[in-house]
Amino acid sequence: MTMANRRKTITGAVMLFAALLLLIELYPIFITLLNGFRRDIVILSGQKFALSQLTLDSYALVFKNSQMMRAMGNSIVVGLFSTALSVGVGAMAAYGISRFKFRGRNALAYSFLVFRMLPQMSLVVALYMMFRQVGLRDTVFGITLAHSSFNVPYVIWMLIPFFTAVDKSYEEAAMVDGCTRWALFRLVFLPLVAPGLVVAAVFAFINSWNEFLYALILTGVKARTAPVAISSLIGGDTLTWGQMCAASTVMLTPVFVFTLAMQKFLIRGVAAGGVKG
Amino acid sequence: MTSSRRPATSPAGRVAARGTGGRGSPVPFLLPALLIVFAVLIFPIVFSFVVSMFDWPLSAGGGARVFVGVDNYKALVRDLEFWNSLKLQLGFIFIAIPLEILLGLAAALLLNREFQGGKVVRALILLPVFFLPVVSGMTWRFMLQPRYGALNNFLLALGAPEITWLGHPTFAYAAVIVQDIWRMWPFVFMLLYAGLAGIPTDVLEAAEIDGATFWKRLLRVILPLMYPTILTALLLRIIDALRIFSEVYVMTEGGPGMATTLFSLYTHRQAFGYMKVGMSSAMAIFLLVISIAFAVTLVRKNMSLERLEDQGGSR
Repeated sequence: MTMANRRKTITGAVMLFAALLLLIELYPIFITLLNGFRRDIVILSGQKFALSQLTLDSYALVFKNSQMMRAMGNSIVVGLFSTALSVGVGAMAAYGISRFKFRGRNALAYSFLVFRMLPQMSLVVALYMMFRQVGLRDTVFGITLAHSSFNVPYVIWMLIPFFTAVDKSYEEAAMVDGCTRWALFRLVFLPLVAPGLVVAAVFAFINSWNEFLYALILTGVKARTAPVAISSLIGGDTLTWGQMCAASTVMLTPVFVFTLAMQKFLIRGVAAGGVKG
Repeated sequence: MTSSRRPATSPAGRVAARGTGGRGSPVPFLLPALLIVFAVLIFPIVFSFVVSMFDWPLSAGGGARVFVGVDNYKALVRDLEFWNSLKLQLGFIFIAIPLEILLGLAAALLLNREFQGGKVVRALILLPVFFLPVVSGMTWRFMLQPRYGALNNFLLALGAPEITWLGHPTFAYAAVIVQDIWRMWPFVFMLLYAGLAGIPTDVLEAAEIDGATFWKRLLRVILPLMYPTILTALLLRIIDALRIFSEVYVMTEGGPGMATTLFSLYTHRQAFGYMKVGMSSAMAIFLLVISIAFAVTLVRKNMSLERLEDQGGSR
């Protein structure tokens, strides 16, 4: 076999392997998307898939379900608030860590990363009792605050490199002009690190959007978010798989759009502490 | 590390060179983050530790709170269900993660070449990582249903008998592991692929021209160069796997029986099933100590502040 022929064979084999991997990896996603367009009763009866049975009925049921709509609304509000809170507070802290010299600077930076990796199960029971005590249980504010426990350290870690990259000359010029530290942060640094803020915000939002355990324990009917509402569509006698798949598709769409749009930043975003709920 | 005598050329000195260090105080900038961290991280941890020393019922109707010292920890050691959950948790980690690393490495090596549609494949293969954990658990539960589940339809077509996968202890445990491998090996792939792309091509080509076989190149050149990345992936996966909850909770609810009650699920059951917050907190502290040990190892080895600053927001 000639070299060129060998290359061709290898490339062919790799493409076949890639196609197989894709098939396996996308199959469950495909199942979710497809069954959202089937009715619960059709799925449960075990009928073979038929093109003619595709309908929007399950979506209609999901959008008419006031509890589900409320939960999705809560998810949006909690996601936006906790993103705004953690990006605001996190940007300040990242600036403080990367542009000041002080004792314990390294230790502080490290603790923020370790904080991001603490298991939620270790915190949630204590949070439940604290929130119950001060009346934050089942409130949008409470769950927002709980989500900031992972988003604030996450955002800080994402933003430190962006703040460090800003050249000193910007800072010096502004200081000569008599700029205060606060004005410097707001008027010089924030515009310069804007790309970092966008990336951090997107991932913080996804973190909050996907989160399940805090929402399960710390919320009830009022502040429940969509992941918990979706999980309640199945269980006991309720087996509304079609609605489950339809609601899941609604939740998945923004996440997939963001991740496909942000390929360049995925590794940094995920390695800094993940997309894990 | 922040000594001002460091030369500005060293990585740690770079901040000193770039920043206006010394003037002004960082406290106003750090304070809001520190307050939040104190309220929702430090205080709950301390509180958990205190509660773990009490016989503490979940609700006031459950009786009085009694200080018991380390009795909760002692009770855990005697609790067979605790050991069961620990065993399941460790089994999960030891089975799922090596397979994820192997799959991720193999795919990274194979897909690290130009071919038609390569970019699309590498992007789409990451989608499961971003599948909501809850939806992943629900979808797998759906696929494994008898009669109408996708897997049983497939097996029935092949003439195999129908199996109630999630009703069988071993199959349910295997399903939980398969679900995790399916969802998270692309995450390992993503990290390793980036690490592989970071190896200079001339190093790889030199080994190829020397006539080294593929396996020799893998063992002598590629793996040693990839070692830091593999270690990072491994530690990230362990830290993540230690706290797995939502996927398993919605997939099996820990059942059948206790067959898939992993560590976090048992912690949850202690507090909200058995109403024993003290016992649950003791488990929470146990998990916390292990997680911190792994997280500190990871941070010290692979995520130093200097390295982070060197990235300079370029990626």
